[in-house]
Amino acid sequence: MADGAAAQEELLKGVIGKSTGTSKVVIERGPVEHFASAVRSTSPIYHDPAAAAAAGFDAIPTPPTWPFVMEFSGKFAEMQSGDAPSPHPLSTVLGPLLSGGGLLLHGEQEFIYHRPIMVGDVLVGEGSIIDAYQKESKGKTMTFLVSEMNWKDEKTGEQVATVRNNLIVRA
Amino acid sequence: MRSMGEHKLSFDDVAVGDEAPVLTHKLTRTDLVKYAGASGDFNPMHHDEPAARAAGQPSVFGHGMFSMGLLGTALTDYVGIGNLTRFSVRFARQTWPDEVLSSKIVVTARREEGGRKLVDLAVTLANAEGEQKVVGEATAELPGAG
Repeated sequence: MADGAAAQEELLKGVIGKSTGTSKVVIERGPVEHFASAVRSTSPIYHDPAAAAAAGFDAIPTPPTWPFVMEFSGKFAEMQSGDAPSPHPLSTVLGPLLSGGGLLLHGEQEFIYHRPIMVGDVLVGEGSIIDAYQKESKGKTMTFLVSEMNWKDEKTGEQVATVRNNLIVRA
Repeated sequence: MRSMGEHKLSFDDVAVGDEAPVLTHKLTRTDLVKYAGASGDFNPMHHDEPAARAAGQPSVFGHGMFSMGLLGTALTDYVGIGNLTRFSVRFARQTWPDEVLSSKIVVTARREEGGRKLVDLAVTLANAEGEQKVVGEATAELPGAG
């Protein structure tokens, strides 16, 4: 293995286990409704509290991929703890690879649901990089970064969802 | 612990090999604009035609997560909202405006674990030519009898 590749392996190993920060998110009715429409759901449950109640829910639930987008509409700045790691461990790896012309791809995405996320929830999430490695494929170096975010109910502390994704940079 | 969930499908009514109703949708640029606005993903590749072409793409293309979202809709239409315990995909191919995308959801296992009645499903989203865009799996917890 060339020196450059060995150094890169070290850099990758070094970010495994690093925190990507915490996040507090409020789940609100309007954004959930628009997102449900955006993913082509026609269920009245996402729009009408009476329909949600008739289906047995205490509040309006959220679509399956909602955890991926919920920070966009619900991560209010004044609620955050301000402990974002600096530099962000993903940028220490991605920065040089992307500026070198690498292509960033979303490889895989996984959601594990411990209970449905509902409108009205306030969730706190903790993120970390759980794996980082590289592979040669067809003459190109592929760098894999696996991140995980664990979300809990702010009030009860119960686990709500685990979100895992795999980013790939193709050199 | 999991008490809630829309009751659409009962565990007793499911068999390995069952297929969910197919969700079919012709992708439009307006879909991508709506998805960008609702998700916060404003990567120009998905809404800015000149930018996508300048980057060497034939046109704008769909967010991978839009495809996963569409599959999520097909899944919950079948197993009911609030019943998924897991949903996982890999992104295989880009989607393009005017493609007709269809879901394929097949029950691969039916099992009981710790008192919970679970079904495992294989999920894919493909175009009319059969090219798979997104491939993955899901697990749902279902109520016993309808």
